[in-house]
Amino acid sequence: MNGANILFYLLAAMILGSGLLAVTTRQLFRAAIYLLFSLIGMAGMYFWLQYEFIAAVQVVVYVGGITVLIIFSIFLTQQAGEKMLVKKTGQQIFAAIAAFCGFALVMVQIVQNNFTATKNLSLSPSVTNIGNQMLGVDKGGYALPFEVVSILLLAALIGSIVIALRTPTQTS
Amino acid sequence: MILLEAFSTPVNYFPILIQLVLAIGFVIVMMGATHLLGPKRKTTDKLENFECGIEQEGNARQPLAVKYFLVAILFVLFDVEVIFFYPYAINFRELGWNGFIAVVMFVAFFILGFTYIIKKGALNWED
Amino acid sequence: MILTAITLGFILEKVILVSIILGGSLGIAMYSTWAERKVAAVMQDRRGPNRAGPFGLFQPLADGLKLFMKEEIIPTLSNKFLFILGPSLAMLMACMTSAVIPWGPNIVHADGSVFTLQVADINIGILFIFGVVSLGVYGIMLGSWASNNKYSLLSGLRAAAQAVSYELAMGLSLIALVMMSGSLSMREIVEQQHGFWNNGYFTWNFFKQPLAFVIFIVCSFAELNRAPFDLSECESELVGGYHTEFSSMKLGFYLFAEYINMFITSIILSSLFFGGYNYPGMDWVALHVSPLFVSIIGVLVLLGKAVAFILFFMFIRWTLPRFRYDQLMDLGWKSLIPLALFNMLVTGAIILAFQK
Repeated sequence: MNGANILFYLLAAMILGSGLLAVTTRQLFRAAIYLLFSLIGMAGMYFWLQYEFIAAVQVVVYVGGITVLIIFSIFLTQQAGEKMLVKKTGQQIFAAIAAFCGFALVMVQIVQNNFTATKNLSLSPSVTNIGNQMLGVDKGGYALPFEVVSILLLAALIGSIVIALRTPTQTS
Repeated sequence: MILLEAFSTPVNYFPILIQLVLAIGFVIVMMGATHLLGPKRKTTDKLENFECGIEQEGNARQPLAVKYFLVAILFVLFDVEVIFFYPYAINFRELGWNGFIAVVMFVAFFILGFTYIIKKGALNWED
Repeated sequence: MILTAITLGFILEKVILVSIILGGSLGIAMYSTWAERKVAAVMQDRRGPNRAGPFGLFQPLADGLKLFMKEEIIPTLSNKFLFILGPSLAMLMACMTSAVIPWGPNIVHADGSVFTLQVADINIGILFIFGVVSLGVYGIMLGSWASNNKYSLLSGLRAAAQAVSYELAMGLSLIALVMMSGSLSMREIVEQQHGFWNNGYFTWNFFKQPLAFVIFIVCSFAELNRAPFDLSECESELVGGYHTEFSSMKLGFYLFAEYINMFITSIILSSLFFGGYNYPGMDWVALHVSPLFVSIIGVLVLLGKAVAFILFFMFIRWTLPRFRYDQLMDLGWKSLIPLALFNMLVTGAIILAFQK
């Protein structure tokens, strides 16, 4: 057990622990906060793996962006401050079965897969390499997907505006 | 021109962990100290929420205007676009005009969406 | 991940450095409150704090002690856990930004070992700061929600929407800077601004990217919730803003976090745009006096620049009136973001055109 392992288990405990709390708490806002800590733990895990840029993206986009969005959508709801009702036993049982099946499926895949180290020279995931690959127009470059991403974001933008601005136009 | 990236090992990140631990320790100590030091004379009136001296009226947690939610959505989308610019900015000298044209196209879509939201009045705050 | 290179001496060195930085930024934050009141007093033709000690210099200590001794009030309708977590997070995030700032040139000992005046030299320094800044909004949002107070909730919403809006322009303005330096490491960016004058032009980034600087400093005002963008705590509409319900050190944490953030932002502004610890004639000092003095003067120069920025923040606060909310949002979205994009593209085109 060296320092790196201890760090790994600490981070894993943080991710799983706060993730578990996020799904079990009965207060919506608190669930969002636990999710926040889970996502921070994941950013820490990326740092641990030395995927610096991915870690930074995780913090800026997921922790600083998506979670703000989730909290704002909680603010939008009617009874944000109230505790959520406990589900019926039947619903709980089926939810547990569904969750277990999903977990089993993933575990079976992981156990069956035999992980081998790549024989190719792996590129270091530094920001320089990511940038070169992302905008490269030569073989192995990702310039086209990069442009497609911008179209996708544009579509998401238009979609969100159409959905979010629909209510006022209907009432007026 | 070769842009060397400083050699970064996990050792470089370890001090951040030290700082985090020290900062958490500081926050906990301060919170604990103020909890112990202050007087504790609680009354029901004192523990009521402040509402300019009158009795509290209803719950504060009312649904908010959808405008704020819209700002959050737009922020997430634009944040993703901004984060894409960083890897480009690092080595745009090597990528030359090819990379620049690719980014100009990217920005063109960005601006297209941007003009759309402004024309739609998504950022108008006066109703 | 290998941690073999970490020795006890290394840890001790970093612990001491971190303690000095945290203690120092707290001290500066405390005296910023004193300076703020003095500046306000001078601008309004008053005397300001002058009872506790000479020139009222002990006033911040008295204030700190007072906050400690006050009763801790948690309203019955609030969420206790989040109510405590809010100010703690605000303070924690304020303490974390300083981790990647280079405080001075490396000190090389006689035996060849190097002492870095920086907690962590990581090569995504700017993104780290960007990330921590984006976390800063949670302290306010949690506190305002947990209070279960109408004024707090409105103020928290305003603060959050304002912070995320200006984060975009801030990130975009930095891209032009990153294009020039080709690095995300704070140390690297500061080193590139070595000295003051080189090859017939200024080395400091301010002279190369004045527009980026203007955008960045406007966004810093907004991120810091300072006047003229202090809509989240405007007394005339929202009582005390998001900290209406907070008392004792929890209130203190919010206030101190704000002043620590102001200090760190000033340091970042000086590091990114005004050369950080670089100053004119540093090569001469290194040659004629001693390399150690370069570092010592460098740290002092950096602090001096930061103090100048802090005073600038204060002058602005007591000079300009507050923005209206729609004006604030319009400025962020409709002016600063297009301007930053324009700046980025023009910078790229010019550099590529002149590059051989």
